[in-house]
Amino acid sequence: MSGAPNIGSGASVDTDATRGVSAGMASPGAASGAADSRGGANRSDRLWMYATMVKSRHFEALIKPAYFEGKSPVFNMAKGPIPGEMHLSDGQEPCAVGVCAHLRARDTVTATHRPHHVAIAKGVDLDAMAAEIFGKASGLSGGRGGHMHLFDARVNFACSGIIAQGLGPAVGAALAAKLRGEDHVAVAFLGEGAANQGAFHEALNLASVWKVPAVFVIEDNSYGISVAKRDCTAVERNSDRAAAYAMPGHFVPGNDADAVHAAAGAAIARARRGEGPSLIEIETCRLEGHFMGDAEGYRPEGEVERLKAADPIPAYRARLLDAGFEVAELDKAEAEARAAVDAAFAAARAAAYPEPEEAFAHVFA
Amino acid sequence: MSSRENMPSETSAADSIASVGAGMPAATARPARRLTIARAIAEAIGQEMERDGDVLVIGEDIAKLGGVFGTTTGLLDRFGAARVRDTPISETAFIGAAVGLAASGMKPIVELMFVDFFGVCMDAIYNLAAKQSYFSGGNVTCPMVLMTSVGGGYGDAGQHSQTLYATFGHLPGLKVVIPSNAHDAKGLMLAAIRDPNPVIFMYHKALQGMGWLGTVQRSITDAPEGDYTVPLGKAKVAREGGDVTLVGLGLSVHQALDAAERLAGEGVSAEVIDLVSIAPLDREAVRASVRKTGRLLVVDDDYLSYGVGAEVIASVCEAGIALRAAPQRIAFPDIPVPFTPVMEHYALPNAERIVASARAMMEMTSND
Amino acid sequence: MTEVTVPTELWDMGDEAAISAWLYAHGDAVAAGAVIAEIMVEKSSFELVAPASGTLNILVAAESPVVQGQTVARIA
Repeated sequence: MSGAPNIGSGASVDTDATRGVSAGMASPGAASGAADSRGGANRSDRLWMYATMVKSRHFEALIKPAYFEGKSPVFNMAKGPIPGEMHLSDGQEPCAVGVCAHLRARDTVTATHRPHHVAIAKGVDLDAMAAEIFGKASGLSGGRGGHMHLFDARVNFACSGIIAQGLGPAVGAALAAKLRGEDHVAVAFLGEGAANQGAFHEALNLASVWKVPAVFVIEDNSYGISVAKRDCTAVERNSDRAAAYAMPGHFVPGNDADAVHAAAGAAIARARRGEGPSLIEIETCRLEGHFMGDAEGYRPEGEVERLKAADPIPAYRARLLDAGFEVAELDKAEAEARAAVDAAFAAARAAAYPEPEEAFAHVFA
Repeated sequence: MSSRENMPSETSAADSIASVGAGMPAATARPARRLTIARAIAEAIGQEMERDGDVLVIGEDIAKLGGVFGTTTGLLDRFGAARVRDTPISETAFIGAAVGLAASGMKPIVELMFVDFFGVCMDAIYNLAAKQSYFSGGNVTCPMVLMTSVGGGYGDAGQHSQTLYATFGHLPGLKVVIPSNAHDAKGLMLAAIRDPNPVIFMYHKALQGMGWLGTVQRSITDAPEGDYTVPLGKAKVAREGGDVTLVGLGLSVHQALDAAERLAGEGVSAEVIDLVSIAPLDREAVRASVRKTGRLLVVDDDYLSYGVGAEVIASVCEAGIALRAAPQRIAFPDIPVPFTPVMEHYALPNAERIVASARAMMEMTSND
Repeated sequence: MTEVTVPTELWDMGDEAAISAWLYAHGDAVAAGAVIAEIMVEKSSFELVAPASGTLNILVAAESPVVQGQTVARIA
């Protein structure tokens, strides 16, 4: 697998570079994946990735206390400003930014029950996303979907809660691009547990048979709720399963945004060239429980502490400083990212709830 | 002091403690042993696994975790990993495997974590399990229990809050039950495991007694320690009355009982039927009640159209029973379950709606 | 008269705990060894077991916060 992502000759420049209302800085978009002389991500991409990871983590950091509001002293899931389940993405940010650095608004992304980092990296409207999670009328679907069912048509992002069911739609979106003669791609995110679900195998086979510009990205955080990957998966590397579907499989160790960026760049470039789908498996980690409130008794002693010590965001910051980025520019990017999230949450809290009768709207178009 | 009886209006010394056991099966003279539905299910499975070496449990997070909803707590430690098996996220494979285990004479209990996930594994259920006896002329049975969580009301949105009673009740070859209390939960589970047919054992999330899903105190009832069964296919009278028949299942039984209490204060005597079983449906129990009251209101939290209410009302009407008011049904509207609480709770049935509807039915009959 | 106290050492002292449900009502007869209440710490559930047989006198209602070692009921 080559290290230098290459959008190839003939690829159309997508003028729609915006990724969302509160994108604090111009995101890679159309010029995505341009390599520097060393073959890695360019400076602009790396700064964007760092800022976006910070943005995503800060989003989760504000969600957590909001989620626990009202759920005290007894943790009753129905209570508080954010009822229901909550699946946070702390630790998995490199997967989202490394992939989405290469994507345009017109590229499709489908994600899972743990969607926030992917949505933010894809450029989903941050204000509308926060409002949706708080169940407000100004939310992405007016409060109808909530945290697991975020849809933003402007940036072709969708997520939902049934394991592996985002893969089929990604194949379809990829096929649409191919039939229209466009070089857009579709990326489906999934967990390692989803690689044991029938839909995964069907979608990969179909993507190959139809030779569509799809990329399947496995975020391997080692656990499907309480079940460890090694206890339920016949193979050690899910990327090896790509061979069964005649597509390249890339394994990316170490939860490393730059490494993800390189692998995703190659896969997305391949897809844009019309050469077909790929599978990427990223070794990442889940710093929080499966859902908020998860006691995580199934995790070995000390595991969470070890993972937190290897938090990818401070590690990436250190790497950027080593590579010559200035403290001031990183701090500035960070501050802008946090400010955007703070503003989105403030607006979401203040926003009005919908009228109850609105429940009946949009069942049919 | 005697243990709590089946007395709806009994109060307790501590005001904040709700009346436990009202409308539910009466306790015997020994001190009551109160269980939550979750504990009752785990107890039943454990007792039957002890008694019958052919029983095993399969599902996601049912071993080490004891089930996301507490249905298999303690079983891994007692019986080991060969009989208490965590699975990959592969419903169609492991439920298909359960069908095969059952065909081979074992007695699998398999958990489908949320009924909403049936989309990925329905063939094994309705085309295989449900038809195994039929296709084999009775020679190959399917003694399998599929237990699954149902219900919303806590903000889990459109893909994790459904009940789908009608979807499963509609398909021939499946028995479908849903307990409203711990006593029935244990007895039904024991009966289900012993039944040679595939039994869909639904448990309502609001009634599990999990704490993080809220607590319906009345569902925590006495469940004897020993062996007993509650028959599949038989409804129960949860509260006797003469003016109107309220029919419910699972959570809506409790809403109907709450409504009955309020109606009693208005001089209306409501009879509450707990269906217990969606399939086979105990139509005769409902008919007997409506012959007495002449008024029928069915309440459930599945989608309205083609639902439980429709089936129960049709069963009464086609029997030609004299009615004093047009039959009514309260159900979840034909919309996906919305996330935001103002919408979700607007859509869900509740005791107030039952009271209003029953009152209106009482007012309909002026020529009595 | 036996005191029923919140178990110690089952969870971190700092974690907030509350009785999510009493399985019996004030005045009910309970048997020694019966699980009489569930205590929740975040999403985990712990059992409160009757240390003796007798009549249960509840001192702390459900959904109130409790601390380890606190007396929440008495059995007479």
